[in-house]
Amino acid sequence: MNQLFAPELWIGVVPLLPLLAAFWIAVGQVGGWNRGESGERETRQVTTVTTALALLLLLVIDMRALLTDFESQIVVAQWLVSSPFRILLSFTADTLGLLMGTLVATISLITLRFSVNYLHREVGYQRFFMLLSLFTSAMLLIVLAGNPGLLFVGWEMAGISSYLLIAYNYSREPATKNATYALVANRLGDAGLLAGIFFATLWVGSIEWPDLLQSEALEQLSGLHLGLIGAAFLLAAFVKSAQVPFSPWISRALEGPTPSSAIFYGSLMVHAGVYLVIRLQPLIEQSQPLSLLLFLVGGTTALYGYLTGLVQTDVKSALIFSTLTQVGLMFVSCGLGWYDLATAYLLLHAIWRSWQFLTAPSFMHQMDQPTRPAHHWLRPLQRLYAAAMNRFWLDSLSHWLLIRPTQRLAKDLHIFDADVVRPIIGVSNKIHSISSLEAWEKQSCEIESSRTDVPPGSGLFGALLQHLADGFVWIEQHLILKGGGEGLIDTIKAWGTFITRVEQQLSMPRYLLLMIMATFVVIL
Amino acid sequence: MPLLTLLLLTPIFGAGWILVQRGSYQRHSAILFSAATLLIAVGILLQFDPHNTTLQFSESVVWNARMGTSYAVGIDGIALAMVLLATLLVFVAILASGAIQERSRSYYALILFLESAMIGVFIAQDWALFYVFWEMTLIPLFFLIDRWGGQRRSMAALNFVLYTMGGSVFMLISLLVLFDAMPDHSFSMIAMAETARSLPPSTQLFLFLGFLLGFGVKMPIFPLHGWLPLAHVEAPAPISILLSGILLKMGAYGLIRAASILPDAVIQLQTPLMVLALLGLIYGGLLAWRQSDLKAMVAYSSVSHMGVVLFGISTFNIAGLTGAVFQMVAHGLVAGALFLLIGLLYQRTHTRNINDYRSLIRHTPRFALFTSLALFGAIGIPGTAGFIAEFHAIVGGFERWGWITIFLSLGVMISASYALRTIGVLFTGPSSNRMAQIQDLNKSEFSGAALLIFLMLWLGLFPAQTLELLNLSIQQINPVVELHTSLLTAVEPTASLGASSP
Repeated sequence: MNQLFAPELWIGVVPLLPLLAAFWIAVGQVGGWNRGESGERETRQVTTVTTALALLLLLVIDMRALLTDFESQIVVAQWLVSSPFRILLSFTADTLGLLMGTLVATISLITLRFSVNYLHREVGYQRFFMLLSLFTSAMLLIVLAGNPGLLFVGWEMAGISSYLLIAYNYSREPATKNATYALVANRLGDAGLLAGIFFATLWVGSIEWPDLLQSEALEQLSGLHLGLIGAAFLLAAFVKSAQVPFSPWISRALEGPTPSSAIFYGSLMVHAGVYLVIRLQPLIEQSQPLSLLLFLVGGTTALYGYLTGLVQTDVKSALIFSTLTQVGLMFVSCGLGWYDLATAYLLLHAIWRSWQFLTAPSFMHQMDQPTRPAHHWLRPLQRLYAAAMNRFWLDSLSHWLLIRPTQRLAKDLHIFDADVVRPIIGVSNKIHSISSLEAWEKQSCEIESSRTDVPPGSGLFGALLQHLADGFVWIEQHLILKGGGEGLIDTIKAWGTFITRVEQQLSMPRYLLLMIMATFVVIL
Repeated sequence: MPLLTLLLLTPIFGAGWILVQRGSYQRHSAILFSAATLLIAVGILLQFDPHNTTLQFSESVVWNARMGTSYAVGIDGIALAMVLLATLLVFVAILASGAIQERSRSYYALILFLESAMIGVFIAQDWALFYVFWEMTLIPLFFLIDRWGGQRRSMAALNFVLYTMGGSVFMLISLLVLFDAMPDHSFSMIAMAETARSLPPSTQLFLFLGFLLGFGVKMPIFPLHGWLPLAHVEAPAPISILLSGILLKMGAYGLIRAASILPDAVIQLQTPLMVLALLGLIYGGLLAWRQSDLKAMVAYSSVSHMGVVLFGISTFNIAGLTGAVFQMVAHGLVAGALFLLIGLLYQRTHTRNINDYRSLIRHTPRFALFTSLALFGAIGIPGTAGFIAEFHAIVGGFERWGWITIFLSLGVMISASYALRTIGVLFTGPSSNRMAQIQDLNKSEFSGAALLIFLMLWLGLFPAQTLELLNLSIQQINPVVELHTSLLTAVEPTASLGASSP
């Protein structure tokens, strides 16, 4: 009985609370009782209270963890089972998870409180709070999940809600474009995460964190398998943390209403990758190449962020590139094996960076002298300066390598579809040019009014059937109807006329005489 | 009183009553008598024991001892299904005859006379009696088409009678040859069956070809269908219902009976029958696709659907024969409903050209609903009776013919193309004032159409009882089933298909 009231067993409620808030606001919007300015009060109360409750619950569990020693892997239920594949609804309440969870809940709560005034009387106030709650829930799920399967749920929720947050001002074209860019870039990482889950299921069996990361299981893996699992997870981490070469999405993600969403990318989501790496520490430590990869990517990003950040002229960009530098350094320290340092670094940096983002709008008012020009040592190095100004052309690189070929392929396929496939299956290309029901009715009227026959078959198959049917119609008309039934009646009529004529001739006296004479001739 | 004789005499009595009746209540009397006949048929269904392999409700009175003929009637599962279909469709046809105003006395008397003859065909257990009833259907139909038909009605009526009688001649020759071979000179179906099965295969083949010509004209089998488009198009709407709903089934029914007495001949002819069936299936479907005349479209679709029946017979296994008989029932309901609805539409607009219609759903929603459902039934969408039939035919066909069965599916696809086109043209598109003048279905038309569509859906959703009714009788058709032991497994999908009901 006592077990049931142990607070750590309620850990599943922590990510659920903000999710319920988001759901509640959405229902209210549909139902129409919290719309407009009058609904702002209820909206902010619901979100703030649920996030505060989540934080409170986490703090209670933190206290328990400090005082007692409980089993850190908490299985709530079985989520899905498909013979060898099994995902549990489980949570990991170890030191790392609880630390990260508390951090996420705290920053979320502060940001929410900040947004209450910042977004007052904005259009889409409720929508923004709903998305913030969704995002909070997603981040809590990422850091508390007991296996990568459940983590993936949070990972995706974070991706979707960030997409919607970036496109908050969806009537502006850059906003929607950047949102799509960020979403598509994040999908790359999702693919890595899915591949990691797949490989882990295939080669390790269980994907619960403790089972996956225990040293006996890892030692049994061959180097290649270990490397593949690790590389897949690292890909996810690199994308989520915007490491080179996946960096451009994060600068585009700053499109959302400042500074609230900036906090989410700048101080929460960007650290999700680092969290994943720290979580995977036993796995990565087994493989030298993975550590080296971490070190190289982190180092490159740190340099990239540093150089690019130097030449930025607006505060948000400068902050985000500086964030990249710090996150890169965290990866470097992980690569060197200093995971505890990275953890501490992460916590401190997240808090510091949130403060910076929150105060960013007021920098303008605090400035009493013009912005500082680029460092004096950079000024003579013209090429490096230009490269930094262009953010090392990463944007154009992805454009050249990925977007342009995809677009060209899509265009070619479209042409193939229009010129080859559609004519064969007999679907008109015209349908695209009709924009309204009225236009369609007008067009179909024109076709219908001039027609007395049924419409012909369309497409290759239709044309084939058309020819066959025309042949059949000919057979039917000429052979079966005219030649059969009607022909039969015509023949009977013709015979009838002939016999009638013979009969008439026979009844004439001269033929009668002839007949009688003929009869006599025969008899004689 | 024996129920089958009562069933046979009720419509005749009704016809006589209408002829002598004073006043203008012919329509009411006709509805009453056809409803009474339907009720008797339902009563027979309730007393019928589906687990009894022998004929039920048998009656036999010697008619002409010297000729060996007798008045012998009896009923099995297949005949019962056909009798129910016939009595139901006559009832619906009379309900839909509201527009017949001139000479209605003789019209209703002829329909009831026709009903009696059709029931006689299905319950006769003596080939001579069968032949008498078979020819008796021609007389009322000739007058019904010739006097109440469309513009080319006399041509159509003459054509129909000539074709059918031409076919009957061959059937008669076969019957007489068979009679001649009988040791005790009797026309009794059971006795003839025993003799026929003992004949040498070449004689059996010759006899079966005669039956095939006789029944094939009525069914119709390609290329003997020359009478059908004209007769269906020119006949008044209620008579079209009977023509395509029951008259065609008489042909198929006769063919199944002939197949049961001459199994060796069927086994020799399986391949040509299959080819004819698939040819008719696709030929009829494509011609239906090319028709702008709605009635002609349904008429040709009947050729196509009867191809499924012949295909089922040609497989000569349990599943295929079940499909054939089920398709007879399903097509009776679907074609009856379609001719009913399109005939009613014609009464209102006097045009059968599909291009003259559009957007009917706005003004005649009930009509649109029933027509769409009937057309879906014609395609054989799951949930309609046609699906059960086509499914069995495909299972049986696949067992016997393998991949050739794909042509059956092709025929189904063609029927989908014209059915969906018809729905699209009739019911969608921009509205026009002319369409707004069209009245929706009235009460008696609504109840007739609803009855047919309801049964079509009922048989499609709960086919188990009907399958059980037919099952034993179908096993009786094919006495050589032991030869093909593998075919016995075909009973399993049949039974499990509608396993929901006990």
